[in-house]
Amino acid sequence: MRDFLTVAKFTINDVVRRKSFIISNIIMFAIIVILFNVPNIMKAFNVNSDENTKLLIVDNENIFNGNLEAIKQMNIPYDIEITNDNLGFDNIKEKINNEEIDEAIILSSKENNISMDYIVDNLMYVENVPEDIVSAISNIYTNMQILKLGLSEEEIKSISPNFEFNMKQTEEQEVQGNNFVMMILSLVLFYAIYFYAYQVSTSITTEKTSKIIETLVTSTTPKVIVLGKTIGMCIVGLFQIIAMVIVALISKNLFLEEGMLDGIINLENLTPYLAIIAIVYFILGYAVYALLYALTGSTVSKPEDVQSANGPVAIVAVLGFYLAYFTMMNPTSELNKIAALLPISSPFCMPFRVMMGIASTSEVIISVAILLVSILVVAKISIKIYSQAILNYGSKISFKDAFKLYKNKNV
Amino acid sequence: MGLVLENVRKSYSGKNVVDNISFNMDKPGVFGLLGTNGAGKTTTIRMILGIIKKDSGSITWNGKSVERKNVNFGYLPEERGIYPKIKIYDQLMYFAELKGMKKQEAEDEIKKWAEKLQVSEYLNMQAEKLSKGNQQKIQFMTAILHDPDLIILDEPFSGLDPINSGLLKDVIIELINRGKYIIMSSHQMMSIEEFCKDVVILNKGKTVLSGNLNEIKSKYPANRINLITNKNVDDIIKKCNIEIYINKENQYELKINSEADGNKLFKELSKTDVEVTKFEIMKPSLNDIFIEKVGK
Repeated sequence: MRDFLTVAKFTINDVVRRKSFIISNIIMFAIIVILFNVPNIMKAFNVNSDENTKLLIVDNENIFNGNLEAIKQMNIPYDIEITNDNLGFDNIKEKINNEEIDEAIILSSKENNISMDYIVDNLMYVENVPEDIVSAISNIYTNMQILKLGLSEEEIKSISPNFEFNMKQTEEQEVQGNNFVMMILSLVLFYAIYFYAYQVSTSITTEKTSKIIETLVTSTTPKVIVLGKTIGMCIVGLFQIIAMVIVALISKNLFLEEGMLDGIINLENLTPYLAIIAIVYFILGYAVYALLYALTGSTVSKPEDVQSANGPVAIVAVLGFYLAYFTMMNPTSELNKIAALLPISSPFCMPFRVMMGIASTSEVIISVAILLVSILVVAKISIKIYSQAILNYGSKISFKDAFKLYKNKNV
Repeated sequence: MGLVLENVRKSYSGKNVVDNISFNMDKPGVFGLLGTNGAGKTTTIRMILGIIKKDSGSITWNGKSVERKNVNFGYLPEERGIYPKIKIYDQLMYFAELKGMKKQEAEDEIKKWAEKLQVSEYLNMQAEKLSKGNQQKIQFMTAILHDPDLIILDEPFSGLDPINSGLLKDVIIELINRGKYIIMSSHQMMSIEEFCKDVVILNKGKTVLSGNLNEIKSKYPANRINLITNKNVDDIIKKCNIEIYINKENQYELKINSEADGNKLFKELSKTDVEVTKFEIMKPSLNDIFIEKVGK
């Protein structure tokens, strides 16, 4: 146990003292702070963003007979001006060029139809057509026509009753949360698991290429080296993620206005239980991939071979991530349930299901048990192959050779 | 007692790399493990250290099978390795802790050996900033910091300048005086002759010679004369039917078949007015024996 801790401590010190680690952390924290400042930055660059659009509605023929004034009472980001002056396209153009107005709507009657010409300085920059205003003009016209028919109030109500719109689902499980949080949670877990697991491989290859492994294996056992490194790197990863979360929370409180994230993240979903689940799945998922990377890292003797040796594990990791990610679009599907149980995808999938409130306790227990068994199996294979491969300084060991090493009982 | 290897075998892909090797090291001191490249020395060392398992035979230390828990090893591998980006002190502390040393004890030992090997000023530097020789001394420290009983030194002097070689030799002598068992593998026969009482010579995985170095040498007849004179004596040497191997400004190395040849030459030289500064009848060196045994 003492040796595990010694290797883990040395691994932690090695990683956290690297300049690349310090710089990448500073960059990452800066990105988080910047992300939480995006609304403030946008405000700073667009000082007029809070100002309403100046819209001129031109009723040349006085079709609406003053009824358009009701539009001004609507809660919309427009400063509306209504005129019956006889203004044509050229007059509007002049007003837009002089910045008297931003946009205009010219109303005219053509036979039984009402025509609306929406005029802006450049159609390319139009983000949204003012549908609310168009719809309001249309309603005002309809009401004017109905009133002309001399109908009673009851008759008018029967023509346009208040519609009630309700949503219900046939499945029993109620899904909470939203896709944005799902994407962020899965991506963060994938990035963290993949990044730190990969570091184990790099560390092992460095020891092999620098020949320090000869001294190391006579100082302790391969099992201690592999597991000690895995534990050390996991601790670094956990602390880094926790630090990122703390920076994010501080940034949120410092830079974001109250309630600004409400439309994006339902904070009620981020419970301590979910945090524990995310940490557990980070540790277990990381362990699976770190041990796989320990295996591949020990099969190479040259740093330039690391990437090609790690290729198969990278493919498995990406497959696992996409299996989890795409099935999350339909979280109650059978495929998503399977993804939450498979050891290659469950670390990216199950925390999301827990957050959505659709994972039963038994599902979580089974998934964790599968991960634990997988870790034991992968650890056994990795340590066995590592023990034999580390002293092989020849060319990269193939799958076939690795299998032979595993079958070799004489180690 | 001590280290005993009996009929040890190891093969890779059907090829015998170590073939039925036996030797024992029953007293403290330096034991020479010699052989050409690919003779099986490193494999033998790795089996002694328990890094790889033998196919058959036995390796025991003080009567117990060689395992990490039974033996306090120190190992300086031929493949020099050091963490390039990590401070020397941290590396030494890491290996000391892995060998079971307490922090304070490790700190004291690091200071002590760093002073002896004249590397104290480098302890807080990254390893990659050190010269090759200094890196080697640091690695030597990792092999002996924890006061091991059995020390294996694979090519300890390669790449060292004469001053650093001297420092290392002093430390090895100190270790011998402290009753350590040392296995030294080297291609530098002078070093082996200087330290080793017993040797084993391997060739293609097999033992070709084994035993006490002095006894081995005594079995060989004298084969050389080292002679230094004040003038050229080629004629006298040829008269005695002795082959001149080297003549560098009257410093001769002569090949002889027996000590009688030497005595005959000495008598002939005595009859002349030649001043003889050095006359030494020599037994074959370990280098000669090595070449004879594995060079064929």
